[in-house]
Amino acid sequence: MGRRPHRPCRLRGRLTLAVVLRRLGQAFVTLAGAGVLVFGMLAVTPGDPARRVLEARGITEPSPPAIAAVREELRLDDPLVVRFARWAGGVLTGDLGISWRTGSPVIQEFVTRLPATLRLTGAALVLAVALALVLGAAAAAAPGRWPDVAARAVALVMLVVPSFVLGVVVLDVLVVRAGLGRVIADGTWATVFLPALTLALASAAGWSRVLRTSLLEARSAPYLQVSAARGASRRRRLRVHQLPNAAPPFLTMIGLGSAALIGGAPIVESVFTWPGIGRYTVEAINARDMPVVVGFTLVAVVVYVVMSLLVDLVCAAIDPRLRQRTSS
Amino acid sequence: MSALGILTRAGVPEPFPDARRGVWRALLRRPAARVGLALAMVLVLLALVGPWFVPDPNLPDYTDQLAAPSASHPFGTDQAGRDLLARSVVGAQASLGAALLVMTIAAAVGLIVGTLAGAVGGIVDTVLTRATDVLLGLPALVLTLAVVGVLGPGFWNLVLAMSATSWAGLARLARSVARGSARRPDVVAARMAGIGPIRTTIGHVVPAATSQVLVAATLGLGETVLALGGLSFLGLGAQPPTAEWGNMLSDGRNTFAYAPWQLIGPGLGLILSVTAAALISDALRDATDPGRPS
Repeated sequence: MGRRPHRPCRLRGRLTLAVVLRRLGQAFVTLAGAGVLVFGMLAVTPGDPARRVLEARGITEPSPPAIAAVREELRLDDPLVVRFARWAGGVLTGDLGISWRTGSPVIQEFVTRLPATLRLTGAALVLAVALALVLGAAAAAAPGRWPDVAARAVALVMLVVPSFVLGVVVLDVLVVRAGLGRVIADGTWATVFLPALTLALASAAGWSRVLRTSLLEARSAPYLQVSAARGASRRRRLRVHQLPNAAPPFLTMIGLGSAALIGGAPIVESVFTWPGIGRYTVEAINARDMPVVVGFTLVAVVVYVVMSLLVDLVCAAIDPRLRQRTSS
Repeated sequence: MSALGILTRAGVPEPFPDARRGVWRALLRRPAARVGLALAMVLVLLALVGPWFVPDPNLPDYTDQLAAPSASHPFGTDQAGRDLLARSVVGAQASLGAALLVMTIAAAVGLIVGTLAGAVGGIVDTVLTRATDVLLGLPALVLTLAVVGVLGPGFWNLVLAMSATSWAGLARLARSVARGSARRPDVVAARMAGIGPIRTTIGHVVPAATSQVLVAATLGLGETVLALGGLSFLGLGAQPPTAEWGNMLSDGRNTFAYAPWQLIGPGLGLILSVTAAALISDALRDATDPGRPS
């Protein structure tokens, strides 16, 4: 959401069942579109899946009859539409296919690695929100004065230092030399802090700027001056007017940002040798193991679509203006 | 000032009042933008003419491996004894060139798809807009990973994958400009003068959309540089021995403990490029959105 932090929630009209259903339908269309797109990728990838599966099972020079047998087993000769229907049905029941590299089901490989990735992105999300709140609130408290300037400078630094540069330096200086944490991250809570911080910084920087802008916008609003004129205390104005009005853009950032964190996970997981699905996917890309790549894409897409759906619903619940606008 | 704009590529840019009137002047009035522009010019100049002034970036020297910075090798040497200054300068060409390529391709595709949807309307509009919406509803970086998975790692494949996943926001912007221009005075005058719809679109709608799309694409340049660097770092971009900042960082990470200078060139290059892009896009966003509190 970087380019336009003020995206109003997509939900329009009253928050009735019909509106919620329409938004749900939109999410479904996006997921269906993603499914077609991703299956298309699987289908156009060069190489015979049957041969790849056999090679993964340790048969280096599979004979044509063996390949034909596997093609029969995977039913690769069916029409594309039939294969898509079967694939989509499999995905819905948690069957992401067979890895072309290990020969075992992709879902099985993911289940053992997903908890580590969830720990990493979860911790990064908490850290990023906390950092963004501190920086954004400090900047908005005194626009133009030194806390604002300092927060802006800190955010800029957090933003422009790439996570993979920072990760390499952090790993060597803090972990290897200063002995903080363990060199081989095992994916547990004990080792999550440094990778999560590395992953969180860039997101926190962007979010803090959005929070600052929306806090300032909410503060300069006419209703707030009226509220002040009627003698409402500063704290009451903050709680009743400023925070609820500043919340939707910030929530939107966080919702979509959580998907950005998953997108950034492959890089940070690779730097810190974090045993999650991100690093596993990078290995899979280099080995052209498409079922795994597709599986990761689907997981990230589902998280992203569900998060933006939740954010839109929550925003509409907070801000009545977002439901009552009728034009699209 | 608003968000620095390099977070995700999911944002949908909004049209601003008029792209051609005084954006440059408004931009040059801002000190931050002047710093950013100067930095960008230095980096581009370095990438364009620098390679003529440095030694061969791929010439190994196995008697001088992992040498610390010195007069003959200002940035030191890498594991194969190659001069890191030379590699950093030549790498600038690959890294910045890739980002500019992605920006240009995405802007062109977005412009064509968006103008087509907005100007033709009807079923064409519905189909293109639905496709754009689906793409906008998906996480771009993850999609890029998937497309690289299909095409295989490599410089051109990475550029193609990044372009393929970053045009959707620009297409939506171009479409809204195209739709909004139907009632613009110059377009109405052209239509009344009997000029056909195709010529009106090319002569009046496309120029207006182009300036908007170019500004929006510039706003995303920093995150494009970062994403390209990150994916190259993972080994998905330019392959060795080609020098590129991302793969140089990846080369340097295993020997970082005793040869930390390997990060100087590519690390500094990436940080300075993204800083320049962030400063410019921040000022650009302020300059094109007068209504926003600063």
